[in-house]
Amino acid sequence: MITAPTIEYFALAPLLIIFGAAIIGVLVEAFAPRYLRRAVHVPLTLLSLVGAFALVILQTVRGVPTTPAAMGSVAVDGPTLFIWGTILVLSFVSVLLINDEEQFVPSAAAVPGSAEEEKAITEGAAHTEVYPLALFAIGGMLLFPASNDLLIMFVALEVMSLPLYLLCGLARRRRLLSQEASVKYFLLGAFSSAFFLYGTALLYGFAGTVDLLGIRERLAVGGGGTETLLLVGTAMLGVGLLFKIGAAPFQAWKPDVYQGAPTPITALMASGTLVAAFGAVLRVFWVALGNDSWNWEPIMWGVAALTMVAGSILAITQTDIKRMLAYSSIAHAGFLLVGVMAVGERGQNALALSGLLFYLVTYGITTVGAFAIVTLVRDPGGEAWHLSRWAGLGKRSPKLAGLFAFFLLAFAGIPLTSGFFGKYAVFRSAVALGEAWLTGLVVLAVVASAAAAFFYVRVIVLMFFSDPSADGPTVVTPSWATSTVVGFSAFATVALGVFPQPVLDLAEKAAKSLFVQ
Amino acid sequence: MGETITFWVLAVVSVSAALGLVFSRKAVYCALMLGVVMLSLAVLYAVQDAPFLAAVQIIVYTGAVMMLFLFVLMLVGVDSSDSLVETIRGQRFWAVVAGLAFAALVALGVGNVVFAPAAGLGAVNAAGNVPSLAELIFTRYVFAFEVTSALLITAALGAMVLAHRERLEQKATQRELSRERFVKYGEEGLDPSPLPGPGTYARANAIDMPALLPDGKISKLSVNRYIARYEAEEGTIDPKVAEILEGEDK
Repeated sequence: MITAPTIEYFALAPLLIIFGAAIIGVLVEAFAPRYLRRAVHVPLTLLSLVGAFALVILQTVRGVPTTPAAMGSVAVDGPTLFIWGTILVLSFVSVLLINDEEQFVPSAAAVPGSAEEEKAITEGAAHTEVYPLALFAIGGMLLFPASNDLLIMFVALEVMSLPLYLLCGLARRRRLLSQEASVKYFLLGAFSSAFFLYGTALLYGFAGTVDLLGIRERLAVGGGGTETLLLVGTAMLGVGLLFKIGAAPFQAWKPDVYQGAPTPITALMASGTLVAAFGAVLRVFWVALGNDSWNWEPIMWGVAALTMVAGSILAITQTDIKRMLAYSSIAHAGFLLVGVMAVGERGQNALALSGLLFYLVTYGITTVGAFAIVTLVRDPGGEAWHLSRWAGLGKRSPKLAGLFAFFLLAFAGIPLTSGFFGKYAVFRSAVALGEAWLTGLVVLAVVASAAAAFFYVRVIVLMFFSDPSADGPTVVTPSWATSTVVGFSAFATVALGVFPQPVLDLAEKAAKSLFVQ
Repeated sequence: MGETITFWVLAVVSVSAALGLVFSRKAVYCALMLGVVMLSLAVLYAVQDAPFLAAVQIIVYTGAVMMLFLFVLMLVGVDSSDSLVETIRGQRFWAVVAGLAFAALVALGVGNVVFAPAAGLGAVNAAGNVPSLAELIFTRYVFAFEVTSALLITAALGAMVLAHRERLEQKATQRELSRERFVKYGEEGLDPSPLPGPGTYARANAIDMPALLPDGKISKLSVNRYIARYEAEEGTIDPKVAEILEGEDK
């Protein structure tokens, strides 16, 4: 006789809404006539995101649950709710970008450059499947940082990644590059998932459970002759997770994929996926392996240092605007990893967690804004990807170039932008630990930030202080959706740079209860 | 005792099959080797008191996934082989070094572990292996089980997006095709009838036999160019065919 499981539907409601809307989206694909599909998908997708966000707020107001939901599978706690809210906002603006312009291939099965593709373009064919696929990816992003055992975390990892592999290959222009990006991402992603799975198996061998709390309890007991399983398992699990955040030496996929993917999908990946993956990293390393921190911290130290140095230095050599932003994203992943190591007693953990949450919000919003601007600067063959094409943009289109410059300054962490307070919050928590090795890393991070500022400023100089070429790119008039995205990002970047306290308070409140332990 | 013997026999079989999988140049051999590895694993699972996993391994992996691999190989062409040219110099050497180092690390790591004797397997399997698994899947791990459906839907949707081609115009009818042939005949002088088939003789019936015209000459249209070129390179070409081909080319 099996007793029925208890499912806390209210706690899981944001997830269920997103997955439900995705499945309805698939049914729309199956039954709605072609001309109606987009008209149904757009409100359905946006409303489901708004609904999920409203439910997250409602849960926060009604009190954060203190026990894991769904038989201990999903931990809906303070940090989770904050991360969910962040991902939902970032997804909402990314979906506005996805909806905005014909960024996607009309017929993915047609050979690039063939007459058939030409025909599909003139017929106005479109893959409206991108909406349900994006929703599935967002659902995976929500589940990933909330997973309370390694098994569901693996399933969430796949649910998040599989739609993204597909969406990466659907760019309308430079299709071969896009397909190459998709295949690369798929192969490397599958490889890293295998590492994650092997690590999970070895940790099971150590602890006898895949439950994060179970592993924690087993670690507290110690002994038993199976410590090497713990070490090898931790390393492999780390490879799988660090791949997803794009930390060096697992960063190689990021520039290629960001460059090849349709820009709205790049925006979704650079913001939502990064936030989700960091949530998962924190949960694994703080909850499950928190008692083992002296074992993984030295490796994490090396990874963080390598990531920020590699990201900052390689970004300088880039000539493609999207690749440059990808390397900038790698450098930011390195800065964020500094906060992951700032663990100590409870108050210190809360400080580090709130810093990380705040950083993730500011970086995500600024990134979406920057990629939204990239979609607007066009050459005859698509987006003006080469940096030299951006020369003199400030003289032709000062408003747009000004906004882009502002976003770049936020990436660099100049005061009066949100990026400054993000970096400050993370680095402060690391210094507050008072350990020389971590303070040294913060110094390195500040130096790397300065090096990174060099290439941001180089782009700004290129835009404002060089002459525009006669056949320069055109700046298209943004649609209401893109204008909204750019406006929202710019507003949030200013607001969080001038008056960050409300969001900082919110992050602190979310971080106070820490993860469910 | 039986378990130990099974393990050592299957260890040799599965490891050599896995090595064959890696080193074999022909894709079909690789696929069959993979099948051997999967079957050995299934037997190992069965010996380890996991009958459900053993059955699933055979039904799902060996039976379904493996066959799918083979179908794909057949579709791509059994003879097609991958390009083995290194695009990054020295990549293979360093990959081998890194792979061996990784294997040594894992072997040393896992080999150093002192395992306590397995405890609790009998108690867990007391209610039967399959009912116990069912209880776990539908209680503790029910959410993971349900979320997997999102993965399957994504996979199906993705396959449709990447492979399904909508027909954008009406399929041409027989009548239209026929008209088109005669229009071409009128404009470019292309023969509206099919090409003459290869010859059929009392002693041979093959695509490399040319068809004969009523006067006994060889019809050039019936000669397969690719086969003729191959035969010319091998030196086995029929001199009459070679004469016809040369005569017309100039």
